[in-house]
Amino acid sequence: MAAPTFPDGIYLVDFEFHPARGREGNPPVPVCMVVREWPSGHTSRYWQDDLQPMPNAPFPTGDKALCVAYYASAEMDCFQALGWTLPRHVLDLYTEFRCRTNGLRLPNGSGLLGALLHYGLPTIGGEQKDAMRDLVLTGGPWRLAERLAILDYCESDVVALAHLLSATQTQLDWPRALLRGRYMQAVSRIQMNGVPLDTETLERLLARWNAVQDQLIADVDRNYGVYDGRTFKVSRWETYLVANDIPWPRLESGRLDLCDATFREMARTHVQVAPIRELRSALSEMRLAGLQVGDDGRNRCLLSPFRARTGRNQPSNSKFIFGPSVWLRGLIRPRQGWGLAYVDWSQQEFGIAAALSGDPAMMAAYRSGDPYLAFAIQAGAAPWTATKKTHEAEREQFKACVLAVQYGMGEASLAARISQPVARARQLLSLHRQTYRQFWKWSDSAVDEAVLGGRLWAGFGWQIHTREEFNDRSLRNFPMQANGAEMLRIACILLTEAGIRVCAPVHDALLIEAPLGELDEAIATAKSLMGEASRVVLDGFELGSEVKEFRYPDRYMDKRGVVMWNTVMNLIGGPVSV
Amino acid sequence: MTETSRDSDTSALDLNSSRIIAMQPTTPPKQATSSAVTDLQALRLPANYGATLGVKKLLTIVPVGKPKKPQFFRTHTAADMTFAAMLLEQKESRENYVVQPNVAQEISELVRPVQLHAAIDRQNNVFLIPVPLPGEAGTRNPWHESLAQAVEAAKLKWLRIAANMHTGGYDIYEAEGALPDPDWPAHDMDALVEVAFRGKIITSLNHPVVQSLLGNV
Repeated sequence: MAAPTFPDGIYLVDFEFHPARGREGNPPVPVCMVVREWPSGHTSRYWQDDLQPMPNAPFPTGDKALCVAYYASAEMDCFQALGWTLPRHVLDLYTEFRCRTNGLRLPNGSGLLGALLHYGLPTIGGEQKDAMRDLVLTGGPWRLAERLAILDYCESDVVALAHLLSATQTQLDWPRALLRGRYMQAVSRIQMNGVPLDTETLERLLARWNAVQDQLIADVDRNYGVYDGRTFKVSRWETYLVANDIPWPRLESGRLDLCDATFREMARTHVQVAPIRELRSALSEMRLAGLQVGDDGRNRCLLSPFRARTGRNQPSNSKFIFGPSVWLRGLIRPRQGWGLAYVDWSQQEFGIAAALSGDPAMMAAYRSGDPYLAFAIQAGAAPWTATKKTHEAEREQFKACVLAVQYGMGEASLAARISQPVARARQLLSLHRQTYRQFWKWSDSAVDEAVLGGRLWAGFGWQIHTREEFNDRSLRNFPMQANGAEMLRIACILLTEAGIRVCAPVHDALLIEAPLGELDEAIATAKSLMGEASRVVLDGFELGSEVKEFRYPDRYMDKRGVVMWNTVMNLIGGPVSV
Repeated sequence: MTETSRDSDTSALDLNSSRIIAMQPTTPPKQATSSAVTDLQALRLPANYGATLGVKKLLTIVPVGKPKKPQFFRTHTAADMTFAAMLLEQKESRENYVVQPNVAQEISELVRPVQLHAAIDRQNNVFLIPVPLPGEAGTRNPWHESLAQAVEAAKLKWLRIAANMHTGGYDIYEAEGALPDPDWPAHDMDALVEVAFRGKIITSLNHPVVQSLLGNV
């Protein structure tokens, strides 16, 4: 694709940095920066003493210049830490490498080294890279020789960037590449903002977590007798299942299937299993020690943009507050005088499927505001006068069916979920096909495209190579997930550029914050821009959104986690949720 | 410690091009402008999967027979979606054969004149329903008459039929839900008949099925 022109120059940029005071969760402290003008090769190296007094970047960053980086959100974090205006245009060769190779097997990964090796370009050794990174992370002070070594290492990365840009410039989808670069700036703004936490309760929890675990196990396990200390004993669980006549799924090896999804499914049909499932989930997903919290009590971590195959963010479950069990989200609390709002698109995947497939019945169902009940009515299972109250049972079954289609669930799994015979599940799935024919035709075409054409794409160029991916379920789901990711990216761009403080993107939602006096206005703006983002991605079809507000001193609380939160808070004398 | 050096990179972008991509300023505006959104909309790629690959479903099977008891069906409203034929039904193998008129004259006791109607079920499976034509007296037996009524009514409604041994005809059940109209495939009746009777057209008395029924084999 034809490359755009940047009369003020193209600048390849790399920073070395470490977290402030060595604490993950704190903003970065830039150690040095190397800038290489491309293609002239004119290079400037700056140590941190030079950078700190600079009011802005020492190279053009306006409308006629381009800033190029690898994993640009990190460079943008440094820009922000230095108080510099972010560049107008950013090209991130990481996002472009990920986009270009998504779905392919990359033996060397998708880091800078992996990209260089992929294109057969010269690299420095991985061991040398690790050693230099460790040296930077010590936080200094560094001797002169070490400074020079760090600068040389930093420069080697911009030289590598130059090779990479030269090798790939004609392959880039420039307009969309720059849009992805713009998203990396939004990511940086969000990462630097972070999520406010109740650190007092967190510290209390951390201090007493071992005792809490023991107490939780003691409380729950008295009815099961399956724990030995903190170890879940499979043989005892098997004994319990036999004694209680519970048929449990097994793996091909013959062993009991103990994954959380199985526990969750079994808890639906055998309610006595639910408490032990909750306990296992709480214990396994509660990795509090890894949570990255800065000195200011805000959770900051890499959002890992474009990491998932769908293009979604994939932050570390242990470092990100939205990663562990939902009850831990109770630690999220706005600072004094502020409020938080969790704004999520309503039934995003259903809406995307309706709009992109152009299925008129599906679009009508979405626009009704209750697509599950609308589906039941459209399928002839409920009268036109039906409401959520009058036909709750039917609505639940048709809701389960919609979700089953989205997840690629078979009739047996759906039957188990709705506690109905397989014949009923088969009937529901058949009704979905009959009611939403246009959607299914489009979904079939997506599979044809993937198998015959070798790739699938989303609205703004994110793509996946499908030569090695013939999983029908994930192929059908890709357009919804990938376009959902595109929608979130555009929303992040629009909101952050409109001055909204975004704390975190969470799958199909955004957590924002504002002073209490401005919260209503911020929510209205966020809803409006998220609607705009959906219209942009779905060619004018707008998705609605829902809001949950949390005003200081209230804390964030997910209703699925209230019971566990209160149980644990009672154990440690912490604040319970009403 | 600020240092500079120069080591030219090997290739360049087209610096002579006048095109500069319009992007939004990094300094946060207070609202997304309409031009920002227009710029974004211009970048959207269509989700027209399969559009250039030309995948289409081939019509490979068209069953011939009455709809099954639980099968809701509709029949085509167009007059040219019916086909008059002489049908020979081989009970043992449950196979239907179309017999050419000159041959049918010779074995009139084995064949019967029918009108084939294009029909479709809720799963979009197309099939042909043979409705026996009235006899010389202009009448049909109750089974055939009720079948003909069902086929006619199914042009407008989703129906299913079930044999009623007491009345000697088919009971007709109408779907009460507001079910969508069928999505007919783009095949004409000739194409449906051709697929339905591929290898099952009798053009001579020497056909093995005829020979078998005449007791010659």
